[in-house]
Amino acid sequence: MGEDWFCSVPNEALHGEFLHDVMELVLKEAVFAGTQRKNPVVRWHDPDHLCDLLNLTPAEKPATHAELLRVIHDTITFSVKTGHPYFINQLFSSVDPYGLAGQWVTDALNPSVYTYEVAPVFTLMEAAVLEEMCHMVGFPFGDGLFCPGGSFANGTAINLARFKYFPDIKRDGLGCAPKLVLFASEDCHYSVQKMAALLGLGEQNVCLVQTDKAGRMDPLHLESQVQRITAIGGAPFMVVATAGTTVLGAFDPLPAIADVCTKYKLWFHVDAAWGGGILFSPMHRHKLTGLDRADSVVWNPHKLLAAPQQCSVLLVRHPEIIKACHACNATYLFQKDKFYDVSFDSGDKYLQCGRKADVFKFWLMWKAKGSLGFEHHVNALMDCASYIKTALQQRPHFKLVLEPEFINVCFWYVPPSLQGLQEQPDFNEKLHKVAPHMKELMMRKGTMMISYQPLQNLPNFFRFVVQNSGVTHQDVDYFLDELDHLGADL
Amino acid sequence: MADQGRNGEKCGPRAIILARLLRLLCEEGILEPSRKSPVVRFQHPDKLQEILSLEPEAQGVHMNEILHLCHDIVKYSVQTCHPHFKNQLYGGIDPYGLAGAWLAEALNTNIHTYEVAPVFVLVECAVLRHVLNIAGFPNGDGIFAPGGSMSNMYGMVLARYKAVPDSKMKGLSGLPPLVAFTSEDGHYSVKKAAHWLGIGTENVVAVKTDSHGRMMPSRLTCCIQQAIAEGKKPFFVSATAGTTVLGAFDPLEQIADICHQYGLWLHVDACWGGTLMLSKKHCHCLKGLERADSVAWNPHKMLGAPLQCALFLTKEKGLMHHCNSASASYLFQQDKFYDVSFDTGDKSVQCGRKVDAFKLWLMWKAHGSNGFESLINNAMDASRYFKEAIQVQPGFRLVLDEFECTNVCFWFIPPSLRGQEENDEWWNKIHTVAPKIKERLILSGTLMIGYQPLPHKGLRNFFRFVTSCHPPPTYADMDHVWQEIERLGADLW
Repeated sequence: MGEDWFCSVPNEALHGEFLHDVMELVLKEAVFAGTQRKNPVVRWHDPDHLCDLLNLTPAEKPATHAELLRVIHDTITFSVKTGHPYFINQLFSSVDPYGLAGQWVTDALNPSVYTYEVAPVFTLMEAAVLEEMCHMVGFPFGDGLFCPGGSFANGTAINLARFKYFPDIKRDGLGCAPKLVLFASEDCHYSVQKMAALLGLGEQNVCLVQTDKAGRMDPLHLESQVQRITAIGGAPFMVVATAGTTVLGAFDPLPAIADVCTKYKLWFHVDAAWGGGILFSPMHRHKLTGLDRADSVVWNPHKLLAAPQQCSVLLVRHPEIIKACHACNATYLFQKDKFYDVSFDSGDKYLQCGRKADVFKFWLMWKAKGSLGFEHHVNALMDCASYIKTALQQRPHFKLVLEPEFINVCFWYVPPSLQGLQEQPDFNEKLHKVAPHMKELMMRKGTMMISYQPLQNLPNFFRFVVQNSGVTHQDVDYFLDELDHLGADL
Repeated sequence: MADQGRNGEKCGPRAIILARLLRLLCEEGILEPSRKSPVVRFQHPDKLQEILSLEPEAQGVHMNEILHLCHDIVKYSVQTCHPHFKNQLYGGIDPYGLAGAWLAEALNTNIHTYEVAPVFVLVECAVLRHVLNIAGFPNGDGIFAPGGSMSNMYGMVLARYKAVPDSKMKGLSGLPPLVAFTSEDGHYSVKKAAHWLGIGTENVVAVKTDSHGRMMPSRLTCCIQQAIAEGKKPFFVSATAGTTVLGAFDPLEQIADICHQYGLWLHVDACWGGTLMLSKKHCHCLKGLERADSVAWNPHKMLGAPLQCALFLTKEKGLMHHCNSASASYLFQQDKFYDVSFDTGDKSVQCGRKVDAFKLWLMWKAHGSNGFESLINNAMDASRYFKEAIQVQPGFRLVLDEFECTNVCFWFIPPSLRGQEENDEWWNKIHTVAPKIKERLILSGTLMIGYQPLPHKGLRNFFRFVTSCHPPPTYADMDHVWQEIERLGADLW
């Protein structure tokens, strides 16, 4: 029925050596060499130049195995090494070996987790992990969903909240519904607005609540906004609190916000995508006091706990709502006359049909490390953050933006050329240009990657964050030394 | 793991676990299951829960225990690479796709900005550009989505934005209802999307299909006119290129004419059938695709890219960005030192997003477009052979005389029920045949094939045979399917 050369069944004679070569290359270059301190975090090229270096356009004719190995090598060479200890750029990082092992097995088995029939092990595994996570959060009879990222998890929570109070919207749409309004802090993740727009609520019907000087939602302002919106004919239905804001790492005061939600009968959602992992640490989990009063919580193990992308969970106190909200009962997939207990077919709880198995990598890490291992991991990260805060306060060119309460340590680097010029009218304007310039230098050198951003009226500042528990105090000293080095001549 | 920090460079355990795991996958034959091995070692849920120790615990376990657990997980999982796994609209995986997936996992990044994913952003752009040209959208745009349901939702949200640009900011409250149209054989994700987008499942009109499961354009026109007469605002039509059960292709040219006439957005759900665009012999099924406003296509279905690999394409450049952007200043800074038009993440509704393009790109490098074409032609030929084979077997009855795509739907009529009057009671018995045979097939592990009823056509449970490109189906594999069904169904009723 055709020649073998194009066939896509793995064939040991044809592909065995190639796959072994690939794996050796991936392990050697991406997993090990790529995460060593002596190697660069990135070998930077501008987009046009990188396009020239890589031969990207799909072609008609096949490439040889040697050519494929070359392109794989180039892909690794020019990719950012997010597992490198000096990559502290985002709210994710690391290449956890057990997580990676779990991910590779998942890919090789290629299951889609809509039914027990096709994914028996992962269906049960999801239930076990979600049960334990619900228990940790304080939802004794809750349920959950694995989502393609925290944005979708937040969106799902909004949809569930909307369904709880106005179930007819599922059928009739929003045209006849009152104007629904939800509340979130002005420092909430932008997915709240994106999802409000996607869900047809409108971005401007996300009412932003003021934060205090530490970046935490002000519950008094929240209450006044709820009253104001109600008075002008809007229909408040939900509050999104954030446990660990993206930039400052602030934790909104959950008990006070819960009180407002109880008083006005609003769905209380907590976006703990970033801060949720702290539940593993008895020393630090007090930051999440009040979490058990929520109706729903987002928690992304691919952030703080360093599971591979993607691993994002929405936990819900009211399990019956999920299926009622999402189910469509497609007869070609969720047949009721199957020969096994079809209550195990979880797919109709989801917006998605086909769905990747994101549970196994997290479950395998949990098996390998135990909850104790995660506790050590989280404590190590918090210790690192505490160390950098103390260390930079002892250096003349570093200035904290504010007192950190979590792993985010935000600071300005004030170069020697700007020292003592704080009173000048154009100081902020000049300071605003420092971080982007230093970022460019570090990227071109490949020595480290740390992010910067403005916030409201503040000039660009750096945000230190870490999820790699292999980052040491010496590494932190290195970061500060390197920043000093980069900023010396600005 | 907390003391890894001191010796970050000495990664003994990291080397061992990954290397031993690879050996395990090879030894278990996951990537190349023998035809003699079972497709699944089925256990009922409560029994499987006892066998596997799934609850997370306080203490970590030794690496040998980890490998033992992985061994069990592999053992009790369905071998989706098995030649006799014909259960879903996806099948085995391409080895180059798997290599690409593993590589992307090992580099663990997000594809929202060029800064953190320089190579992968460019790879995604290159693949999208190439596919846009094939689809007939030379000035278009696209994105990789977390599944076809999301791609369909992307189409609907763009259509909504085009019809009511203010909806992004103000929402839909107080507006006349928007109405979407799809065929009664269309995928249920259109309804779910309508729910999510605040349009309402009642405002998705299911247009009748003909005897072959294709949307009837005349009925579409009636439905649109009726919606208008009711004071509603039609805005979106989702035509399907390869329906889930019957594999039907809606007549795109005629539907495009109607959409043009009424000013409606035409989205084509080509998640399943879109792969045929890569075959010169079979791309005629997608005639008219270039007239669509948006298209969804899943290479993780027929083409065998590892899950997930789903593309969304749209004709108008820039629209996705206007519709979906939020311009978060902590991520999409405009004062970066490189050309920030390569920070493509803001046109997505996701923030973090997986690298799904690379596995497809590597497959494309390995096979070339010519290789893809051969794979597809082979799969279609196998289906044709299967249909012709069962047509001459007693006890097998086709649901349709002609099929499109690789779907071949049929009933098996056990010997004891042949030649009887085909009344309601007879059909009730036939309805139980497929579930019973399916149970036997799974317990014996020799084949996994789907069955379902088609209530809106009054059809009782029938088998849906489908094949994807991987592993390349042989005629012997096709014969195995009907022979197993015949063997296990021989004594029913």
